[in-house]
Amino acid sequence: MGEIIQIVILGLALGGVYALMGSGLSLVFGVMRIVNLAHPSLIMGGAYVAYWGFKLYGVDPLIMLPVAVVILAATAVILYKLVFEREARSAKYSEMTVLLTFALAMVVEGALGTAFTNTQRVTSPDYATDAFFIGDVFIPKGQLYAGMVSLAIIGALALFLKYSRFGYAIRATTQNREAAELLGVNVNLVGLVSFAIGIGLAGAAGSLVSFVFSFYPSKHWEWIAILMSLVVLGGMGSILGTVLASLILSVIAAFVGTYFGATWSTLTFFVALFVVLMVRPQGLFGEKPELA
Amino acid sequence: MEKLLEVSSLTAGYGDGPAILDGAHLSVEPGKIHCIIGPNGAGKSTLLKAICGMLKIRKGDVKFKGQSLKGLRPDQVLRKGICFVPQERALFPKMTVRENLRMGGFSLADKSGLEKRIDEIEERFPILRERRDQHAGTMSGGQQQTLAMARTLIIKPDIVMLDEPSLGLAPKIVAEMFDIMRLMAGEGITILLVEQNALTGLKNADWGVVLDLGRTLFEGPADEVLSDPRIQELYLGGKKAA
Repeated sequence: MGEIIQIVILGLALGGVYALMGSGLSLVFGVMRIVNLAHPSLIMGGAYVAYWGFKLYGVDPLIMLPVAVVILAATAVILYKLVFEREARSAKYSEMTVLLTFALAMVVEGALGTAFTNTQRVTSPDYATDAFFIGDVFIPKGQLYAGMVSLAIIGALALFLKYSRFGYAIRATTQNREAAELLGVNVNLVGLVSFAIGIGLAGAAGSLVSFVFSFYPSKHWEWIAILMSLVVLGGMGSILGTVLASLILSVIAAFVGTYFGATWSTLTFFVALFVVLMVRPQGLFGEKPELA
Repeated sequence: MEKLLEVSSLTAGYGDGPAILDGAHLSVEPGKIHCIIGPNGAGKSTLLKAICGMLKIRKGDVKFKGQSLKGLRPDQVLRKGICFVPQERALFPKMTVRENLRMGGFSLADKSGLEKRIDEIEERFPILRERRDQHAGTMSGGQQQTLAMARTLIIKPDIVMLDEPSLGLAPKIVAEMFDIMRLMAGEGITILLVEQNALTGLKNADWGVVLDLGRTLFEGPADEVLSDPRIQELYLGGKKAA
């Protein structure tokens, strides 16, 4: 029993971080129809911001988190103006963004490699290697903090979307862009701000990741497939779906990792993706595709 | 009587594409139900979209209370008091009924009276109160259309434009929708609607406008339009429709 609780806790903590990584991706797709393959590379950017603060000034990654959010959100505004806005009227916008963001991911990777070299890095605040013990169950502090901060940020995002005026505008634009515009929503501004929030979330996730995993510029390729499968599983654009998919699958992956070996745990996400696409192609909370 | 809305020799189309409207005109009087009819591709929906600012006016003009609406964005036209309900998907399906009504007041600068206004509207449409916490997308077609129309009332508009409000609804429900329009008109709100079903539309309207190939063929009191021989011609062959 102790072992099972142990696995569930480790799975949930990791799932929380995946949920934060995926929710930014989901938000950006939901509002902007941008399939952002560069999202994990921007998460890496957030990780390097935290690393930079930690290494040079000894600042805790959790304190660097808001700094990473601001830097990444500002980067998002520049990227949007430079890269995405000019294509926004294209009829094949979503398809176009796949290519654009693929290129962008490589540019970000190259820039990070140039600035920080390709060596493995990790921030190592005291709690990263510490743990709580409750009976036999051990809870690594680093993963626990990362998971809890992730879920707190997602909770704040959910409240913002549910109750704020801007949150109403974001949800309305996601669900029916034309109707939102007709009711007075400035959909272009909503798009830009959502993109900045989504990439800001990548920055937050990056600073948390910096003490959970060791990282290097090309590490983002390992994540994009997992994150994409989480977003598709949750239903493209549904943040709640992404969060649930992350938590559930990370726990399952933790079990698979324990009983079949770590090599197999990643497979969990893709098997789940296959199964869900066969029985419920719109994902857990996605809308049924329209028959047109 | 002074015209509330006046469209004169209007030309408009989508993007850089051909002109869908070419020489459309229309005049709207306060507190009446105006119905635009015409065959498929006549430019009926395009006309509403051009008035509300979704499409650029290429030539001609749209005047509201004597002021030109040319070059205004949809939100600016809305703030002047013209509300447009697009065809079929006018709602936010994953927002609750109450949240949809709140979105109706998004353009209001002063939100203080909004909740009270929503309460008033729920009182008038009990079904919306009953379903207030339900996602709009889970309601029946008629209920959704009721919500879309009720939502326009939040900002107390001068003109409500409806693009085929009867689409996909059973005849009994369609009659209910026209009852609501009649009620709105009774309160001084001018209705401008597009109808695929010319007979139903004209029977329920005060004024009829016949559009074909992007231009206004003729307009007049609804009963006169209904009995006009040119209508027979337009709908039953004779003249080739687009």
